[in-house]
Amino acid sequence: MTPQSFKKTGLALLVLTALALPLILRSPTYLHILIMLYLYAYMTTTWNLVGGFAGVLPLGHSVFVGIGAYTSTVLWLQWGISPWIGMLVGGCLAGFVGYLIGKPTLKMRGAYFALATMAFVEGVRVIVENVDKLGPFKLNGPRGLNIPPLPAGESSFLAFQFSTKEPYYYIILFMLMGVAYLTWRLSRSKLGYSLSAGGEEPEAAEALGVNVAKCKVTAMVLSAFLTALAGTFLAQMTLFIYPKSVLTLDLSFELAFIALIGGRGSLAGPIIGALMLRPVTEFSRIYLSATLPGMHLILLGVILIVVMLYQPRGLSEPLTRLMSRLQDRICSTKTGGAQ
Amino acid sequence: MTKKSLATAALTLLALVGMSMSAMAETVVKIGNVEPLSGPSASVGQQGKNAREMAVEEINAAGGIKSLGGAKLELIYADSKSDPNVGVTETERLINTDKVNIVTGCWNSGVTYPATAVAERYGVPFVVPVSVRDTITERGFKYVFRIAAKDSWWTRDQFTFLKDMKDEFGTELKTVAFVYENGDWGTGFAAQWKKLAEEAGYEIVLDEPYPSTATDLTPVVNKIRRARPDVLLLTSNAADAVLITNTLSDYKVTPKVVLGSGGGHADPTFISGTSDNAKFMFDIVEWETDVNKPGAKETNDKYKAKYGSNLTGEAVDAYVAMYVIADALERSASLEPAKIRDALAATDLKTGPAAIVAYDSIKFDATGQNENAALAIVQINDLGQGLERITVWPKASRRAGYTPVFPMPQK
Amino acid sequence: MDLIFLLQDVINGILMGSIYGLVALGLTLVFGVLKVINFAHGSFLMVGMYVAYWVVAFTGLHPYLALVLVTPIMYIFGYLMQQWLIRPIFVAERDVREPITVIIVTTGVWYVLDNLALLLFGPDYRALSPNPLKGEMIELGEILISTPKLFGFTITVLTAAGLYWFLLKTRMGRAIRATSLDRDAASLMGISQWKVFNVAFGIGTAIAGIAAVVLVPVYNVYPTVGVPFDVKSFVIVVLGGLGSIPGALLGGVIIGLIESIGPNFMTSTWTEAIVYGLFLLVLFFKPSGLFGQKYDW
Repeated sequence: MTPQSFKKTGLALLVLTALALPLILRSPTYLHILIMLYLYAYMTTTWNLVGGFAGVLPLGHSVFVGIGAYTSTVLWLQWGISPWIGMLVGGCLAGFVGYLIGKPTLKMRGAYFALATMAFVEGVRVIVENVDKLGPFKLNGPRGLNIPPLPAGESSFLAFQFSTKEPYYYIILFMLMGVAYLTWRLSRSKLGYSLSAGGEEPEAAEALGVNVAKCKVTAMVLSAFLTALAGTFLAQMTLFIYPKSVLTLDLSFELAFIALIGGRGSLAGPIIGALMLRPVTEFSRIYLSATLPGMHLILLGVILIVVMLYQPRGLSEPLTRLMSRLQDRICSTKTGGAQ
Repeated sequence: MTKKSLATAALTLLALVGMSMSAMAETVVKIGNVEPLSGPSASVGQQGKNAREMAVEEINAAGGIKSLGGAKLELIYADSKSDPNVGVTETERLINTDKVNIVTGCWNSGVTYPATAVAERYGVPFVVPVSVRDTITERGFKYVFRIAAKDSWWTRDQFTFLKDMKDEFGTELKTVAFVYENGDWGTGFAAQWKKLAEEAGYEIVLDEPYPSTATDLTPVVNKIRRARPDVLLLTSNAADAVLITNTLSDYKVTPKVVLGSGGGHADPTFISGTSDNAKFMFDIVEWETDVNKPGAKETNDKYKAKYGSNLTGEAVDAYVAMYVIADALERSASLEPAKIRDALAATDLKTGPAAIVAYDSIKFDATGQNENAALAIVQINDLGQGLERITVWPKASRRAGYTPVFPMPQK
Repeated sequence: MDLIFLLQDVINGILMGSIYGLVALGLTLVFGVLKVINFAHGSFLMVGMYVAYWVVAFTGLHPYLALVLVTPIMYIFGYLMQQWLIRPIFVAERDVREPITVIIVTTGVWYVLDNLALLLFGPDYRALSPNPLKGEMIELGEILISTPKLFGFTITVLTAAGLYWFLLKTRMGRAIRATSLDRDAASLMGISQWKVFNVAFGIGTAIAGIAAVVLVPVYNVYPTVGVPFDVKSFVIVVLGGLGSIPGALLGGVIIGLIESIGPNFMTSTWTEAIVYGLFLLVLFFKPSGLFGQKYDW
């Protein structure tokens, strides 16, 4: 077996398992956990477009989630526009906002950029909390927006609401695969190379004719658009959004943490991060919170600190090394030597 | 073997089988509880947990559910972190994985609202001790039952109290100020206050939401000072209730009436955080330790001895919820969700440990709302034994021998 | 009549703002020297407040006397944090342009400290007791001034002056200034970079401890008490200029004034938005802040 076919088989196996899981795990709770897992993997992958590829530290990415969620929900509640269309509108709006935010801030130093993104998400949250209406749009302030559920047992694709978990599972799975593929293509594209050059040695890249700033902004706009799609998905899953659920620093931090622990800048890093960390936080909350409240957050923080101290590039690095060793065994090649 | 030993062996075997059969037959009723055990409402979540545990201990010690063969109640907790998404996930988990028979929760109306929708979808009875948002029982759901009053009743009673006090003491009350935390709860109350104030002919001199996590409330207090209201209505969480009360006192702001809305003002740490500054303030609550009901004092003393503080509205309703569930189970004699639901719907609980509530009986109407839920207004005062909360309204529930201090003495 | 109220607001804004400035002072020192924004600064403040609370509860000392104990404890705490958690990252990322990882680690520390406090001390709000400063006010006609806040203002000025003197006149102070201006040059001159970092972090945390003592008579203690101060501190530090002492104080006062005077024109919930808006404006148009220098790092 060649390394390429090893990788291809591995990938195919992974995808097939993911597709088949709902047939094996029938419990709605486990499906729900998996759905949230994929959602976080999706959001961290889109975060990675800015945080990993553009090399900066966005700590306010949930603002795009919020824009996506609120846009599609308002359009549905006030004008009956299908959330699918609302999703795209939200994405475009978020992309625009991403441009507005990115243009002035991506030139800044890392710490400043991080602070600016934090200020943005908090500022937007305060505004949404304080206004009932923004022009013709009803935002309902802190009380948030409720999406009326369809009568029990009914599903509607157009209304983006289903009575069982399976459709949601497949939708987010495809979204995740789409974004993973996109990231893969991007890393091999001109934009991707420009970004990584710009991240390491901006002056050299500029000298070579790369417009680093423009590339970063492009990454930001793309990331914003894609992240907003997740916002709509979340809104349709939970049928209830309010400022502290989608426009919060907590969510922004969580996304950043997971991507960082997994390994930003790499394709698999954020996904691996989500796959490893979400179960840890979920289960520690389930089993420990009655006796040790807040323990799951302590765990997340400690894991973050430990990983940053010993593996600042994230856990995907040692894991990829393991994978290559496995690959060597199976394909009887020696990675790193002449082939 | 001799005949005797054979007989002994047979009897022992029979006894063993019999014991194991009864052990198997000993059912357990699982009650899932979604509470905020971490996050901003953690202290209330803890009170709810304590109260439930005390009630379940008592029920189990008294023999459990007799109609189910002495089945014991078992409590399973899930932390909502005051986050609706988490609350929904946890409710689903309790129902599908832990297979609980009944769910209770969640204190934060924002969490209870979607969580009850989940239970309704799966057809599992959900008993809400305290979350006040009106719409929780206004969706035509069949499996949701609420013990506490709706929040529109709270605001209605606040204004009725004001009217009654005006009549009783002949004081003029013309202007009113609303100061409230700008979350879901506060803004909901404020919207209703506005309507009620206009109907009653008050002049609204201040409508001021403030962020609950504010580090300094002096500017807000200064605005109150400037507006010179006769009546000050407050809706605050724990930290800001203390901060605003202390600041009001520091700046010598004394409206004729200061009326809180429970929540932070009813928190056990409120009086210790404000001491004399809280004197003569009024607060509206589900329940108070001096309510004139048999068993109230004893139950409160027991809770206090165990957990170190008095029962609060949330704790009492959580405690009572356990007894309501036990009572329904006794009548349903079955663990089938539909039967438990029907038994709950037919509740008319007047006696027993659950009757320490301030009203006559717990009875759910067709929407699942406890139609008798009523509220009480207390005044904080020192009658020689330290600061305490004294029930003053409705007049029939007023503590014997106490005349409310009205209006508040000027500083 | 209205003027009196406005004056009241201005005075309160200045006093409260100076206390915010004191909180931000430690943060700006750490940033100026290590070029690192300590996201856990609010949590350090929280730790300081719990320490102050327990010291007073166990010894019955007047809170300002408790400073004697709180300050060294916090200094050691900061010193060790730097030594164990931050230094290893600096060493590992020696050739990376900006050690963003440090920011991430400090955010992790924030999460851990806040929730550890929740676990250990419970969510209850604790009021300082005994509290000899409770409700003490000075009356000047219609104007009321909060005594503990006035003390806070005084302590802030004294601390800032003390820090200034330290940086100007003492050997270690000069070493700190040299390192903040040019890390490598200072190193070449024989100044131990790590020692400087540790001391600077220690001092920054000790100042947070002083701020904690100032706050604890007027503000309740609970696990997440540091969070609103944390965010405000970032804004102040950027507004005033990273690394600038007068900048931190002035920035604090500006924020305090916005919070106090703003509600005269809008509800107090909007002043938050104004603060963030101002923050973003400064970041866009004058990132070095009011007094900051242009760093090339």
